[in-house]
Amino acid sequence: MSTALSFATAPGEDGATVLTATGEIDMSNASEFRAALDGALSADGHGPVVVDLTGVGYIDSAGLAVLFPHLERVRLIAGELLFPVLTVVGLDDVTTLRT
Amino acid sequence: MTRGDFEAMSKASAAEVFAGGGEVGHDLAAVRWESTPLGSPDQWPQSLRTAVSILLSSRFPMWMAWGPQLTFFCNAAYRRDTLGRKYPWALGRPASDVWAEIWPDIGPRIETVLSTGQATWDEALLLFLERSGYVEETYHTFSYSPLRDDDGSTVGMLCVVSEETDRVIGERRMATLRDLGSDPSAIRTEQQMLSFAAAQLRRNLRDLPFTLTYLFDGDGTRLAASTGTDGEIARAWPAEAVSRGESELVALTSDDGEGPLPTGDWPEPPAQALLVPLLQQGGSPYGFMVAGLNRYRALDDGYRGFVELAAGHVAAGIASARSYEAQQRRAEELAELDRAKTAFFSNISHEFRTPLTLIMGPVEDLIDRWGGADAGVRAELEVIQRNALRLGKLVNTLLDFSRIEAGRMQARYEPVDLAAATAELASVFQSAVERAGLSFEVDAPPLPRPVHVDRAMWEKVILNLLSNALKFTFSGGVRVAVRAEGDTAVVTVADTGVGVPEQEMPRLFERFHRIENAQSRSNEGSGIGLALVKELVEQHGGTIGAESALGRGTTFTIRLPFGTGHLPADALVPAGSAATVSATADPYVQEALRWLPGGETPAPAQPVRTERSRLLVADDNADMRDYLTRLLRAAGHAVRTVADGQAALEAARAHHPDLIVSDVMMPRLDGLQLVAALRADPRTAGTPVLLLSARAGQESSIEGLEAGADDYLVKPFSSAELLARVRANVELARLRNHHARWRTALIDSLQEAFFVCDQDGTVIEINSTFTDILGYGPEGLPYAPVHPWWPDEASDPDGHRLVTDAFAQLVEESHGSYTIPVKHRDGHRLWAAASFNQVEDPDTGRRVIVGTFRDVTAEHYAVQRESALAALSVRLSQAESLPGALHGVLEELRDLWKANEVYAAVFAGGVPVVTAVDTALRWEGLPEHLREALRAVREKPLLTPVAERPGGAGIALEHPDGTMALWVELAEKRPFTEQDRTLLALLAGHLGQGLQRIHQIDLQRETALALQRAILGPAQLPNGFAVRYAPATRPLKVGGDWYDTVTLADGRIGIVVGDCVGHGLQAATVMGQLRSACRALLLQNTDAAQTLTALDNFAAQLPGATCATVFCGILDPDTGDLTYSSAGHPPAVVAHPDGTTDLLDQGRSRPLGVHTPAGRPEAHYTVPSRATLLLYTDGLVERRRQPLTTGIERVAAAVQRGRGSSLEELATEVMAGMAPETGYDDDVALLLYRQPGPLELEFEAESTRLAPVRSALRGWLARAGIDTTTAQNVLVAAGEACANAIEHGHRHGPAGRIRLRAAATADYLRLTVADSGRWKTPQPGANPHRGRGLSLMRALMTEVTVTTGAAGTVVGLQARIPR
Repeated sequence: MSTALSFATAPGEDGATVLTATGEIDMSNASEFRAALDGALSADGHGPVVVDLTGVGYIDSAGLAVLFPHLERVRLIAGELLFPVLTVVGLDDVTTLRT
Repeated sequence: MTRGDFEAMSKASAAEVFAGGGEVGHDLAAVRWESTPLGSPDQWPQSLRTAVSILLSSRFPMWMAWGPQLTFFCNAAYRRDTLGRKYPWALGRPASDVWAEIWPDIGPRIETVLSTGQATWDEALLLFLERSGYVEETYHTFSYSPLRDDDGSTVGMLCVVSEETDRVIGERRMATLRDLGSDPSAIRTEQQMLSFAAAQLRRNLRDLPFTLTYLFDGDGTRLAASTGTDGEIARAWPAEAVSRGESELVALTSDDGEGPLPTGDWPEPPAQALLVPLLQQGGSPYGFMVAGLNRYRALDDGYRGFVELAAGHVAAGIASARSYEAQQRRAEELAELDRAKTAFFSNISHEFRTPLTLIMGPVEDLIDRWGGADAGVRAELEVIQRNALRLGKLVNTLLDFSRIEAGRMQARYEPVDLAAATAELASVFQSAVERAGLSFEVDAPPLPRPVHVDRAMWEKVILNLLSNALKFTFSGGVRVAVRAEGDTAVVTVADTGVGVPEQEMPRLFERFHRIENAQSRSNEGSGIGLALVKELVEQHGGTIGAESALGRGTTFTIRLPFGTGHLPADALVPAGSAATVSATADPYVQEALRWLPGGETPAPAQPVRTERSRLLVADDNADMRDYLTRLLRAAGHAVRTVADGQAALEAARAHHPDLIVSDVMMPRLDGLQLVAALRADPRTAGTPVLLLSARAGQESSIEGLEAGADDYLVKPFSSAELLARVRANVELARLRNHHARWRTALIDSLQEAFFVCDQDGTVIEINSTFTDILGYGPEGLPYAPVHPWWPDEASDPDGHRLVTDAFAQLVEESHGSYTIPVKHRDGHRLWAAASFNQVEDPDTGRRVIVGTFRDVTAEHYAVQRESALAALSVRLSQAESLPGALHGVLEELRDLWKANEVYAAVFAGGVPVVTAVDTALRWEGLPEHLREALRAVREKPLLTPVAERPGGAGIALEHPDGTMALWVELAEKRPFTEQDRTLLALLAGHLGQGLQRIHQIDLQRETALALQRAILGPAQLPNGFAVRYAPATRPLKVGGDWYDTVTLADGRIGIVVGDCVGHGLQAATVMGQLRSACRALLLQNTDAAQTLTALDNFAAQLPGATCATVFCGILDPDTGDLTYSSAGHPPAVVAHPDGTTDLLDQGRSRPLGVHTPAGRPEAHYTVPSRATLLLYTDGLVERRRQPLTTGIERVAAAVQRGRGSSLEELATEVMAGMAPETGYDDDVALLLYRQPGPLELEFEAESTRLAPVRSALRGWLARAGIDTTTAQNVLVAAGEACANAIEHGHRHGPAGRIRLRAAATADYLRLTVADSGRWKTPQPGANPHRGRGLSLMRALMTEVTVTTGAAGTVVGLQARIPR
């Protein structure tokens, strides 16, 4: 059984697609995360995709690896809990901290 | 003529020739002469017929040879004595055939006779004949003379022979037996006797080619002597017959592989040996003698008898040697007894001298004061005085003995006119003898030469003999005679007394031997007078003997050699002053007088006692000296004379005269200078001097008196005036010097040595004990420092330093005492304990040092032994282990002997185990000489010191592992004395026992510790706990402390630390029961106070459990909530991560089993996250002379300091940090808990396990009070590590397991993730994002380590916890 994780896709305020993840992302469910992100990216064509990680309590390098190939289109929203990890891996410039 | 006629004629003719030859003639006639060169007898020339006729008719043994073949003839006597079995074969044969075996000997002789016509003569010539079936040793005396033909030419020879075999051999054997019996010294030891006998037997190697003397010795036999061989002859001699006392003949073969036999004087070895017993009268034989037999003689009765007689001689010799040895032993035992007796008496005697002095002095005073008043009182006082004199005489005699035996008798042999001296001594007894009604004759004409005697000793000899004579003589008289006989002076003292029974004569001079039942004037007597006389005469190199006939009297004869060759050169002195009888005579005469009727009260009108003054006369004029001497002697004074002032000074120093009468004008030192010198010397300052001078006038008189003379007399003076002045001065000096004489007497009677030093340490006065102890007498005074008795600086630097220090103390300090080593004059070392005082000489005002000392040699060595033993005991008691003890003791031994090194080797089978003080060598590394020494020591009996090798000494003793050899390697030249041996043996004995004891204690201690550990604490502690237990260090013993944890049903944990009263197994047993009880109660109650209350009841029924203290708590490890109750136990300590400390000092009440009225209280506490809880027993914090709170503060601080350490490290740090220098003196139990306990997870390497692991870790981090950010970092880093373990560690095999452990200290989190796989080196190119896992960990954690080993990979993560 993989770790609990759910997704929701919705159009954002500035026309971007928003992918909201809830749960924890680790190597057991990183593929689900990749599928969800690929879905969001293809649905929108070439526009930016915002990944909202505010509801994610944990993300490890397997989850982060899903994000790296798409950085030209992906923007992140994260809470205080995840922000230090994203900073460490150099994603802070594409991340908006939501407090 | 027919053949028959011819033969008949021949026979007739032959019968005619051989007629008168008896049987031999008959046999000669039967010889077929025709076949010999001589032809038929009837053809023989007349000369031959005549010769044969002479031969046959002679009764003297003869043989003859005739003709070209020297045809053999002999007569009956020759046949009988010599020819043996060769008869009649020999007749008519060529002589060279007949005596083929000796032809080399006799052929040349015969040839000589035939060629020269000269006769030969041989006496007792040894010839080996084969006439009895064997080669035989024979001796012949013979003459060969020529036989001539009718025409005068030599054609044969005649031998007249007498066989002397029996005589020669008989004489030879007799000589041997005679020699055996000729031992010149009557008695010898067994071995000497055997050697002597062997030497005699060895001289007869013909009859006895070899002999072996075996003695029965315990169960076996031992070869005691041998001749003809260097030692054993390896044969199994059958001892059975000889041990029964019978002889046995043994055949010898030399080819039986047991080595060659000795041949003696012969070319071939014996073929037989005779074993003869060495018979003991009335007992089994001493042994036996193996006699190798002469193979050239038959063993006939004569030979057998000879061997048995020789053996008999040896047996008799053994008997007498053994009996002599037994007697010798008895004699030595008796002599030893004698010596012991003398030593005992002389020790006692010494003790008598002081009291005797203190009796004699006052008695004399009393006689002077009271004697005139009351005859009764005087008589009683004189009884006391006489008996005191007698006792004094006995004491002095015994002391003389002890001096002689100790070699301390300091004799001074001076040339003496022995006749005059002896006559004078005898005269002392004149009146006593005459009063006894006996005649007294002294026959002492002058001797041609002086005899060297010590006057004092000679007096004792003569006085003892005279006193003896008087005692045992009742009629007739006593006669003293002096004569010269060759090189000796002979002095006889003869009496006509009761005589000595013959059987008592041999013991006459024995000490303490008294002849019982002899009639005598007195039964008093110690039996030592004659023994002393003998000793004294022998000191002079003389002899004394006695002849006696019962009822007719006894004559003692003393012989003293003239000359000085027999005396030690250093004891010779030149002729002294004229002979005087010293005060020694008094006691003898006094004693003798008392034996006589009416002698009870000697006439008071002529007191013989000390009125006689000892005067020294110094005058260079011989006539004047003689006059003064005559005058003064006549007045009853004892006079010594000298010829000048220097001699007077020396005599005054040596003899302390009562008065010196001196001329003023003298050579070397005149009278005035003499007085000045006398006054300058403290020893003679008080001696009165009467100066005589020809110089009249006031001035000279004043000059003399100013110089310090006591009186002054101007020549000419009347004899009466001189005597009056002398008497007055002596009396005056007596009064004046009374205290001085007392002082001298007292000082001399002191048991302690006494000395006076001047300011610079020169010894100027000593007493007799000083001389006895050190061997240095008053004649050597003054002794300037360095004193001759100081130890030698070169050979004894330590001793020398001690004495130097003591000497500095002596001359610098006003009083003090010291103990120093000193050297006796004869070189032996002793220890003296001295004390001294500085005093001021009241007359001169000079400072002098007065001191006394005792010989404390024995005590010194006893103290040395005691202190060495004490030091050894301390070392042994301090030791905590066998090797430690041994090392300590070796160090002690090294210091004691100032040794270079001390080695111990334990031989326990295998390679010996070596211990040394400084050296750390194994056995293989020791130098060979040391290994050899140690091995040699080990071979010796246990506890027997071995000091045979220079440079060291050793001893063997028991070590628990085996025999231990100890070797003390001494400093160079350090001798190992008898005291050292005693000490070493003593210490080794104690060491052996000590090591054994430590070994046993070790065993007990190990057992107790094992037991304690077995009953202590749970084997498996819950997470987050660390415990320690330590027994008391010295003496190492277990106690009653314990700790315990009990996991309860609801997950809470009961924690207990307790302390039972007492130590040892008893306390440990009580502890075990309390601990079990407490555990059971906790499981029931889950309430700390209730548990303790229930434990109170249990303790009340368990002897020894009352008053135990217990801290009991119940901890919720999830929350850190703790409820606790303390039964008199010290408070637990909680160290917070922020550095603050709490003491859990609530919930307290009394110790177990002590009545607690209100019930036990309980308290609540929450252990904060990452705080450390410490429970302990009082041994950890209790110190002497410190309040308990100080200890608690110290331990709290220690826990605080270690709050960053892991729990196990902290436990170790606290135990070590709190321990006193010498270790804990009480046992200690300690329990640590840190909240929360470490997280330990183990899970399958499946990615699906990651979420639950994260969840568990998140919860633990919360309990550990970690902030969210840090917690998230840790979660990610740990997650990465786990992911790596899943992905890399187990990608190729079945899923393994992963273990995660997390623990917290105050400031750090430490995690480990371990798997059983092997990580790959990150390869970012192949899988770019995977390498980020490790970078991520590194970025998030303070420290990351990856350790890959055969068993798998361990990732270590450490994160600092922000404050």
